[in-house]
Amino acid sequence: MAIRPSSLLAERAAEVDALVIAGRELPESGCAILAVGGYGRRQLFPYSDIDLLLLFESEKLALANKSVISDFLRRLWDAGLRVSQSVRTPAECVEVHHGNPELNVSLLDQRYLAGDRNLYDDLARRLPRFLQASREPLVRNLSQLARERHAKYADTFYHLEPDVKETPGGLRDYQLLCWLDQLRGGAPDPSPELLDAFEFLSHIRRFLHLAARRDSNVLTFEAQDGLAEESHDGDAAHWMRGYYRHARAVFRAATRRLEATEAKSSSLFAQFRDRRSRLSNPDFSVVRDRVHFREPHQLDHQPDLALGLFEFVARHGVRPSLDAEQQIAARLPRLAERGAAWTALARVFTLPHAPLAVRWMHETGALSAVFPELAHIECLVVRDFYHRYTVDEHTIIAIENLLKAPGPYRDLRAEIERPAVLLLGILFHDSGKGSGSSHVEVGVELARAAMARVDMPAADRETVEFLIERHMELSAAMQSRDVYDPKTARDLAAIVQTVERLKALTLLTYADVSAVNPTVMTPWRAEQLWQLYLIVYGELTRELQSERVAAAPHPFLEGLPTRYVRTHNAAEVQRHLALAAECETRGVAVDINRREAAWELTLIAPDRPGLFAAAAASLSSFGMNILRAEAFANRAGQVLDTFTFEDPHRNLDLNPSEIDRLREIAERAITGKSDVRELLRNRPKPSLPSRKARIQGRVSFDDAASQTATLVEIVAEDRPGLLYDLASAISESGANIEVVLIDTQAHKAIDVFYLTADRAKLPPERQSALAQSLERATQPA
Amino acid sequence: MKKIEAIIQPFKLEEVKEALKSIGIDGMTISEVRGHGRQKGHKEVYRGQEYTVDLLPKVKLEMVIDDSRYEEVVQKIATSARTGKIGDGKIFVFDVAEAVRIRNNDRGDSAL
Repeated sequence: MAIRPSSLLAERAAEVDALVIAGRELPESGCAILAVGGYGRRQLFPYSDIDLLLLFESEKLALANKSVISDFLRRLWDAGLRVSQSVRTPAECVEVHHGNPELNVSLLDQRYLAGDRNLYDDLARRLPRFLQASREPLVRNLSQLARERHAKYADTFYHLEPDVKETPGGLRDYQLLCWLDQLRGGAPDPSPELLDAFEFLSHIRRFLHLAARRDSNVLTFEAQDGLAEESHDGDAAHWMRGYYRHARAVFRAATRRLEATEAKSSSLFAQFRDRRSRLSNPDFSVVRDRVHFREPHQLDHQPDLALGLFEFVARHGVRPSLDAEQQIAARLPRLAERGAAWTALARVFTLPHAPLAVRWMHETGALSAVFPELAHIECLVVRDFYHRYTVDEHTIIAIENLLKAPGPYRDLRAEIERPAVLLLGILFHDSGKGSGSSHVEVGVELARAAMARVDMPAADRETVEFLIERHMELSAAMQSRDVYDPKTARDLAAIVQTVERLKALTLLTYADVSAVNPTVMTPWRAEQLWQLYLIVYGELTRELQSERVAAAPHPFLEGLPTRYVRTHNAAEVQRHLALAAECETRGVAVDINRREAAWELTLIAPDRPGLFAAAAASLSSFGMNILRAEAFANRAGQVLDTFTFEDPHRNLDLNPSEIDRLREIAERAITGKSDVRELLRNRPKPSLPSRKARIQGRVSFDDAASQTATLVEIVAEDRPGLLYDLASAISESGANIEVVLIDTQAHKAIDVFYLTADRAKLPPERQSALAQSLERATQPA
Repeated sequence: MKKIEAIIQPFKLEEVKEALKSIGIDGMTISEVRGHGRQKGHKEVYRGQEYTVDLLPKVKLEMVIDDSRYEEVVQKIATSARTGKIGDGKIFVFDVAEAVRIRNNDRGDSAL
């Protein structure tokens, strides 16, 4: 740029000054003409409005000159100027206009053009005093306006076709910073970085005005091509990265300043902020609602400290300080070299404020230091009709949407066992964009490399690959398949295979579609997706009972539900086969293992009435909390039951010999050698937290779900021993448990039993008797 | 001039649009709607909770066509939206008294 755009704007302002001054025919006394707004500060774009303030000594004088004023304005219009004028008395200029904050703001940039100099001088004297005295309401109005404007653009500057004036990080935000300087009583004092951004944005806005020959500020794809060509700066996508760099500088400066001013003006906020400073710990301190490193130089020796900061962000929802950001940014190569372990990343991704942490990892560059595979989607513009944001921003908005998902999607999210895996799937779902070839295949490749490097468990890797590979499956089905055609459900069930994957894919679809632009996820569409989820869920639960393994390499596997094969890897199957062999010789086999935060008990035994209840009872008698359970039977009548449980008193950790005792007790109970009721007499009394919102127990029977069994679904408030009570109510009624799937979310237990009596569905009278006893069991203790 | 209003299955939208494009019709208004006709909806059970899906998601197409072509358009929509099952939707045709292009005040057929 040979000539600075700002001087071109000033030239234009000077031209207009001359026209206005020449065209005026107003009384010389009691009236003055002021330039205000952008024109006032000599930043006049070719087709912007000319903001004039006609200052009249009194309202009466203004009314008397009504026709003179309109003649004057008409002359300016005829000269080709788009005038936007207001007529005010000095008194009106020095009062706070809550309904019209723009008027107060426009006066910050006023300058004298012509007319009664004394009248103007009087206002010029009063104005600084007014601004000083009304600083607080003016700042409040200004920041409210800015916040509303940001919200209109979803609080992001990563728009594919941004409005260079209004979008976050645009000229309006630059101006906001200047105004806040002025309201503090000084002159605008932008940093060199902001001045650069201002020149860059001004150049674009001039270009847009001249191209459209009107006040048009949207940086369209067409204009991006034109500007890229003009600057000889590679292609438009590359040129746009420059735009985002400048917009980011402006937006971040503006939001920081807004936060600082808002914090000052709200004592309630200050109290909250001070309370948050108590979150400080030996590594991090929270000052003014931002996290700082206590000893930043430690970062040189412990690169993991950077990830520790993001874990803090994810846990407490407090953003990093500017210092912390810069300290991390300065050490990115080290972080990249060192890499990150999945265990550490999963901790960040599982915490409640994970989206905020991911956003700041992205902002500081830490995300692409850990996952260089994501670097090429940064600020990447992929042009289509629907997407509104760059690929990286779309991805982060999707992660945020996951946490904001309403209604049934919120419940579904609570059922996700490994949220960190789902989050990684979203993070990489579009990582293949911009590569030229199929973005799905490339995305899977990129994710595969990244997951191997961070050493993610194999089963989780498979889930992520599945999610990326199929991330468009459900939205495609919504558009092109008849949801109520049974074939749709069958086809999709064959693709997703398990309920767990279906849940993750449904949530990913919800997050992905709603991150395309703020209006695309209408209630209509959300409902369509939910319908699709329901029919596929129904299909998968139906299959649970009816789809069985037919030909298997080992007789033990024959007749197990196909779900078994889909949810267990080769190593687990080997372990189960070893247990089956043990069962052959001993009549029962029980295995207890640590599973990350929980424990798992696996048992194989010949089926007998009350077996499942007995196993559940032996765990309850030890004070264990059952989180999930599955029970399957094979063709030979052997059962394979798996219980995932939590050990609230860390009994098994602290006394390893207790593991053997638990196994022994379980084996005796399973084989019927000890009385289960006797066991439970000694069980620790349940201590339930008193909660106002109790979960109402619900029992429902479904005969249509399976061809050979009756499905019972029970939703109840979880409590110790609940599963035993339910299972023994079923056994006592003489029904046989074929398949069980037990899940808990917070205090809610969700249990699905497939029951038969004499190898058939339960007759209606048995169902109603059983319903009563199950309902009794779901009553809180 | 006739106004055509068609309520169709959402998954048929692309097909119908393509079919109309093939006979040169590409101006239309599309909205996401809910409703039911004789296909009364049904009950779903999820997590032990029964809930009725009585208003089914549908798509509504609206367009105004000059008199000489509306039969052809109605036929095109009907054949492309048909699956033969309950819930395929309906087409309504209305007489239109006047059309005005806001930009230049064109009237009648030339405003379409």
